[in-house]
Parts: sequence; structure tokens; C-alpha cells
Amino acid sequence: MRIRDLVWETGSALDANRGRSLLTVLGIVIGIAAVIAMTALIGGVKQSLVGELGLNQARMVDFFAWPEREVTLDDLKNLEERMPEYECLTATSYANGEVKSETKTFSGTIMGVLPNYERVMGVKMTQGSFIKDHDQDSVALVAVLDQGAVKQLYGSPDEQVVGRTISISNVSYSVVGVSESTSYMGNGGTVYLPFSTCASRLTGDWGIGSINGLAREDADMSTIAETTMQTLADYFQMSEDQAKEDVYAYTMQSVIDELETTMASFQLLMTAVASISLVVGGIGIMNMMLTNVTERIREIGLRKALGARSSDITKQFLLESVCLCLAGGFIGVVLGYLGSFALTGVAGSMMELGATSAPLRPMIDVKSVAMVTGICILIGVLFGYYPARRAARLDPVESLHYQ
Amino acid sequence: MPAVIDIRGVHRIYESAAGYTHALKGVTLRVERGEFLCVMGPSGSGKSTLMNTLGCLDTPTSGTYRLEGVDVSTLTDDELAELRATRLGFVFQSYNLLPRATVLRNVMLPLVYSDCPVSQREQLARKALASVSLPEQYFDHRSNELSGGQMQRVAIARALVNDPAVILADEPTGNLDTATGNMVLRTFRRLRDEGKTIVLITHDAEVADWADRTVHIRDGRLLTDEQERALQAAHPGTRSAT
Ligand SMILES: Nc1ncnc2c1ncn2[C@@H]1O[C@H](COP(=O)(O)OP(=O)(O)O)[C@@H](O)[C@H]1O
Ligand SMILES: [Mg+2]
Repeated sequence: MRIRDLVWETGSALDANRGRSLLTVLGIVIGIAAVIAMTALIGGVKQSLVGELGLNQARMVDFFAWPEREVTLDDLKNLEERMPEYECLTATSYANGEVKSETKTFSGTIMGVLPNYERVMGVKMTQGSFIKDHDQDSVALVAVLDQGAVKQLYGSPDEQVVGRTISISNVSYSVVGVSESTSYMGNGGTVYLPFSTCASRLTGDWGIGSINGLAREDADMSTIAETTMQTLADYFQMSEDQAKEDVYAYTMQSVIDELETTMASFQLLMTAVASISLVVGGIGIMNMMLTNVTERIREIGLRKALGARSSDITKQFLLESVCLCLAGGFIGVVLGYLGSFALTGVAGSMMELGATSAPLRPMIDVKSVAMVTGICILIGVLFGYYPARRAARLDPVESLHYQ
Repeated sequence: MPAVIDIRGVHRIYESAAGYTHALKGVTLRVERGEFLCVMGPSGSGKSTLMNTLGCLDTPTSGTYRLEGVDVSTLTDDELAELRATRLGFVFQSYNLLPRATVLRNVMLPLVYSDCPVSQREQLARKALASVSLPEQYFDHRSNELSGGQMQRVAIARALVNDPAVILADEPTGNLDTATGNMVLRTFRRLRDEGKTIVLITHDAEVADWADRTVHIRDGRLLTDEQERALQAAHPGTRSAT
């Protein structure tokens, strides 16, 4: 018996029982839909997180120490030398104040940043460019707004604002760029100034407020926080007790880990739903295949009389149940994907991903489709084997005379 | 050249809840190539059991069966299946066609199991259908759209399509009226003229008249014509038993 014959037989057998087949695969459909919805959602959440935090964010470490004295840019340079596990470090200072455009005023976060802040934090620009080295060196009166700030100052986050002027404490700054908002920074609106400008014009001191480091790609993220805190304590000559209080290092990895723990419970629930419906679905398939065998006893007897081997009969019925499962799996993939769109709204608010952040989009990947195909074949074989063997073992003489 | 069918001292004892049934009691029979043999006997005499044995669907309890010189008791299940696919053709009383499949598809069914290349199948099926004189217009009809006589001719074409050593027909006219039955028998007769070997089983003496030779079976034993005539003389009327 050739593959082509097997496929033909299977096609015509399934075609003859279309309605019943459809009902039978319902369990498989639900099970596979659950699997797909689950993987699409988890994939989507992870994807949106990467988009949200920037691609570098898994490698970003947020750390600082509060020694008795002020931490300065010189300390940053020294720390950079002592921390070879980082590609680069960047410093930030914070100020508060009224930010004014021609028509509106708001009080948001004002940050003094170094030019490499863009790279370390994975800032994404929507207009213009970020603060440059020469802005820092020349203490330039330039500002970068995030979309939240643009919205506050000009009404819409999409307003073209490069080249316009804002003022903070009666000093005018020219806007050179707009960056995407991240929920990480809050949605109230952020204004970035060159670190030097912020220090000389707004805060009046050159102290650093926080440090962010971009770890090297091969750095061990699980131990980097520990190492960094140790280096900080050593550098600032802090006692063990003091270091416990006044040194911190925080990686995005821990945020991702936390999220994964949340996802794991969701995954467990969906896996339970999926496995139960797949088992129920498999039993349904087995039941239908047994009915099929009984209904076609004479046909089986005839095929054997005409020269079918037991293995030909086994193959024919096995392929039929596998195809049933695959058909159910296909419908399940479509429904699961559609369903995950509906669920993203719920999950999105559950995860408290900000409204201005990238929308949560379910992810469908080749891997989960391949997995589903595997599951379907497995169920088809597992639950189709007994009916198929039963068909193959039928006695041809008795089957031919079965009424 | 060995006989197509050569069975010697074949016994078949069925074991069932009701006890043992000795269906064949030492049957010995030779069928030569090109012969049209009729096995006749009343109901329950063991005709179908003999037919199933000849068709390698059933294994004798004892005795030997050589098909074209091959002792079938030495063959594995898969080898027996191959033998059925290539050397044996079956015609049943109730046709046993696949009702939803077309006539051509039904006739091609044995070719699926005999490893015949797909490209040759339709041609072989058309040839077989031509030799049972089924008009071409029916080839693409579903088999359940045909009359009984047409269905039985499709079944004969299906038995022919692999060019088997022997065609085994178990009461092929049992479900047909006399005129249609005669048409089917004429088909067998013509196939025999073309050199096919045919074993036909019946309980109807008029059907037996179409064959070259008739053997009688009674209670699992084959009788010669003389023995049968003697029996007839002693108990007139038993011949028309159903
Ligand atoms: N599978 C079976 N199990 C038990 N007894 C059987 C079986 N098949 C046939 N028999 C018995 O064997 C005898 C011969 O049956 P069969 O070959 O069918 O006769 P026929 O075809 O001439 O009517 C009968 O007595 C029948 O009851
Ligand atoms: Mg019978």
C-alpha cells in the first residue's frame, strides 16, 4: 500500500463522516486552543516587555551608593575602571521645576543625563536625536522630551516639536529630540538635559543621583548585582553594616524573573485546562474510531480478502485518527490565536503595562505550531492505536459476513 | 506443471461455545488450469468453509493445500495476504463493493494491495471491466447506483484485475433473478474460454450446468458424480435442498 493510497483512503473516510468528525475533535480543538492562547500570550507579554524596556534592558543594572560624601563624575570614571563586567556606566541627576512651552506648563521629572544614557537605557527616539557629547561639554541649553512631556506641553504626543523652545526656571532650552515614553520612567512626562547643564543651571551641584550600567553580553546577570554592591562598598570604604543600608544594585533580570513567576501560575492553569481537554478529546477520538471500525467491519474483511495486510489496516486507521487530531489541532490553532487577541486586553491590564507602552500583541511562533503538530500526532497515535489494532486483528471470514 | 489447486485430506473443525463442528472431513480435490469447476451442496454442507480454505482466508485443521504448487501452510500472514492480492480473486454473493466509491475505484482496490504502480491501475481496471462487458458510461458511477447484475459484474472485474490464478465465487448468483444470474454465469463462461480458472460454489443445480465439472459436497465430504447419483436414487428430492 502506497502513501498516496493511504492518504486517499483517509481523505474519503473523513469526508464521509464530516459532521461526526467535527464534533469528535472538539476536545482536541479546545485543548490546542488553550495551548496556543497560552503560548501566544506569554510570548506577547515577553515581547512587549522587551519592547517596553528596550533590547538592552535585560543587561541593564541600576545601582548606587550613598557614602558620607557626594558621588561625582570622577567617581563614575573610577568605578568604570573597577567594574570590567560593564560595557559602560552612565550617571543621572534629578531636578524638579516648572516646565513651560509657549502655552502650557507642567511639573514633571527633569533629569540630567550623560550622552551614553541613550545607549545604556535603550532609549528609542521618535524625533530628532538624543543629547550629544558636545552638548555635555559645552553645557548647551538643549532638551530632549519624552512623549509624555510632549503631550503635557503641546497637547498631543505626536506633535512635531524639534526646534521649539521650552523654558525651565526662566532659562530657555531648545528641543532637539523626542523619545518614546516607557512605563519604567512613569507617564507624567520627563525632560532630559545634559548632565552639565542640569548641574550648573538647575541643581547647582555636580552630585550624581543614580548610576546605570550596561553589562557586557557575556556577563553573569545572576551574580552581577552582588559583585557590583561589593565593589561599591569597597570603593567608598563602607563598613558591612553601612553597605547593607546604603548600597543597592538592581537588575532588570529580576523584574523579568518576577514576571515569569506570575506567568508560570497562569501557564500551569492553562496547561491543566489543555491536558484535560486533550485527554478527553483523545478519548473522544478513540470512541469515534471504535465506532468507525465497527461500522466498517465488512469493508475491513473485504480489504483483507483482497490482500490487505494487517499492517495496511493498522496504518489506514492510525492515519485516520492522526488526521482527525491534526484537523482539530488546526482549528484549535486558529481559535487559540483569535482567543489570545481577546485575552490580551485582560492580561494587559493585569500586568499593569502602561497605557502609553507598546500594545500587548499575541505572538505566534513556528515553535508552538510545531509543538501542537507534535501533540496532535501523539494523541492520534496514542488513542488511535487500540482501534486500529482491533481493526487489523479482525478475522476476515467473520468480518465479511458481519451484518 | 502443478495443478492450480491441490488439496489433500483437508479437515476443518470449528471450535465454538456450542461444541465442535466438523465442517470438512478429509476433502481431496484438484483443479487444473483453465477449468471451470462447480462445487455443489446443500446449505451447511461445508461449501463456504471449503471456499475460505481455497481463498487462504481460513486455515485447515489438518491436511495440505498447495496453490500453484506452493504449500500455503508454510506461509506467514503477510505472505498469505500477498497471495490473496495477486493470485486469488473473490466474488461474493452480496457483491461487497465499497458503496460510495466509483466503479473504477472499486475495481482498482486489489491493485492498492498488490503494489501495482499507480499509473497502470486505471488501464488494468478498464481492461477488466471491458471483459465483463460493463458499458463505459458506468465507470464513474458510484457502485451503489448500479443494478444487482451490474454490481456483480463489477465484483467479477475486481476479482479479475490482478490476473489471478483462480477466481473463487461463493454463490455469485444467489441474490440475482434467473435472467441476470445467467448473464453473470455467461460472463464466467466467457472468462473460462479465455483461459481463466474458476471455482464456483452453489446449491443450485441449474447454475452447475454452466460448469465443466461439478463436485458434490455433503456433510463435509466430497462425492463423485456416481456416489451423488446413487444418493439421489435413494433419496429423491434432496438435491433441491437450499
Ligand atoms: N465460524 C464458525 N464457527 C462454528 N461453526 C461454523 C462456522 N462456520 C461454519 N460453521 C459450521 O460449519 C458447517 C459448514 O458451514 P458452511 O461452510 O458455511 O456451509 P455452507 O456454506 O455449505 O452453507 C455448518 O454446520 C456451520 O454451522
Ligand atoms: Mg455458504
